[in-house]
Amino acid sequence: MSHPVTGSRRSVLIYSFVWLVISATQGVLYHYVLQYPISVVVTDSLISNFLFGFLGLLAWYPTRYIPFQKHSPFYSIMAHVVAGLLVLGVWVLLTVGILNASFSSQENYLEFLNGTIAWRAMLGALVYLVLVLVYYLVTNSQKLQERAKQEERLKSLVREAELNMLKSQINPHFLFNSLNSIASLTMSNPDEARDMIIRLSDFLRYSLKHRENEFVSLKEELGRMKDYLAIEKVRFGEKLLYSIEINEECEKFPVPTMIFQPLFENAIRHSVYESVDPVTIRFTCTPDREFMKTVISNDYDPLVPSMKGTGVGLQNVRQRIQLGYKDKGSVKWEGKDGVFTVNILFPRIFI
Amino acid sequence: MSQIRIMIVEDERPARDLLRTYLGAHSELEIIGEYDNGFDGLKAINELKPDAIFLDVQMPKLTGFEMLEVLEHQPEVIFTTAYDQFAIRAFERNAVDYLLKPFSKDRFRGAISKLMSRMESKSEEGGEESSIEKIRQHLAQSDEKLHRVVIKKSGKIHVISTSDINYLEAQDDYVMIYTNEGRFLKQQTMKYFEEHLDSQQFVRVHRSYIANVTCIERIEPYEKSNFILILKDGNKVPVSRSGMQVLKENLDF
Repeated sequence: MSHPVTGSRRSVLIYSFVWLVISATQGVLYHYVLQYPISVVVTDSLISNFLFGFLGLLAWYPTRYIPFQKHSPFYSIMAHVVAGLLVLGVWVLLTVGILNASFSSQENYLEFLNGTIAWRAMLGALVYLVLVLVYYLVTNSQKLQERAKQEERLKSLVREAELNMLKSQINPHFLFNSLNSIASLTMSNPDEARDMIIRLSDFLRYSLKHRENEFVSLKEELGRMKDYLAIEKVRFGEKLLYSIEINEECEKFPVPTMIFQPLFENAIRHSVYESVDPVTIRFTCTPDREFMKTVISNDYDPLVPSMKGTGVGLQNVRQRIQLGYKDKGSVKWEGKDGVFTVNILFPRIFI
Repeated sequence: MSQIRIMIVEDERPARDLLRTYLGAHSELEIIGEYDNGFDGLKAINELKPDAIFLDVQMPKLTGFEMLEVLEHQPEVIFTTAYDQFAIRAFERNAVDYLLKPFSKDRFRGAISKLMSRMESKSEEGGEESSIEKIRQHLAQSDEKLHRVVIKKSGKIHVISTSDINYLEAQDDYVMIYTNEGRFLKQQTMKYFEEHLDSQQFVRVHRSYIANVTCIERIEPYEKSNFILILKDGNKVPVSRSGMQVLKENLDF
């Protein structure tokens, strides 16, 4: 923890300004009320106050290194008293010494000065006390800030862990049913079986790899999603149709890895799994100035009561977007006229 | 011994292909039909009465389990499933066998020989109780929440979304389910529905009644210390004192 005054230029200026104001007040008082000449008044004010100002900086150290929280109150108080007496003693000796030497001819003033030493010492003790209190306040608020920072860091760690968990959820139904399809294809169509194994491997590797890389180009993300859809298409044949349209500008856009996977999975689960008729899944991407807008839609039969509860996958995606883009992105969905649509806005400028 | 008549109910073509290929090696088995969804499978099973079925669990329209709930003819069942921890326990105890996809030829042969010995002991002892009832009972213990209910009414199969249910009423061994499209009788216990319906939405307001709280229009005092619910469709549902307590907690008033 750095010194609250000398730690930054701004606090040095503020601290000096406060002492200047005090000096000025004292000077005005001495000059107009007690009628001492300007030179005497200015010297007295500046020397006594700035000496105190400088020595007062030292009061920080007992506050910092002998805090109440760590030591018995008696020990801390004694430490402050001893330090305070030292500071006061040095201050009084220096001030009185310097002023006596500077104005040896002004007997009137010197009498006043030497008569008020006790008062000055008491006033100094008071100011010293105020300083110590201020230092304690500053230390505490710094500690609080540091704790808040630590909490924030912790939260972001937890967030990261949560994200990893959300991302790594590959549906075991998908995995084992795909393997079963491959087993079947090895007999009827070995070439297609090999293709499917490669696609499945690419997709699984991608879903493992993304733990390290937070962002990939939309092109790569969609490439893996196409693998995913192609695998599902082997299982469901003509029942599953899909179209993915993106232009060059969209291809390069970075997106969080596996962000679309739960959406395609949902689309398949709620449409293809539940339907006996062909369904189409569409993906489009439209860039504009502020956002990259993606739309995933799928047909569904609104009359068929859903087997699975809806929303977990969608909530996860929304959470990832909100956490990842600090509430600047958005995820919206609606089911209307037999088409379910999910809109995502990715902010284009994001630091 | 005559041929065993087999039916395949499975929604994925490659999975059906695989089963058919494996079955080709067993001349004692005859495939009498293949269906790609629970609805068609259910109809065909009731009509053609196969000896045994290969049944996928996850299927469109009607899942394998929902199909079992409303099946009239009860064949032997060999489940084929990808991943379903709870159901596997049900199969272990009660089904002829279950095949975890993907499965080998040897594993398949094992299931067939289990089926054969079951069929033999069945024809010797005569009329052994079907295993389907036991599977049903076991599945009813699952703690998974209910999203839809399958009901057979005058020969037709109705699939009702739980959110369309207004209230349920106990009727001896059955439960009457009231919806805007009419009422449906289901052989099931109130306890089952109390445990498996979403407890945010459904409250056991009375020993004999469960109400969908989103359908409540207002609550009126009734007789001494009892209350009665007036539903949006005009129906009235009695509330017991303990039911009122649960309702208060649920609706936060």
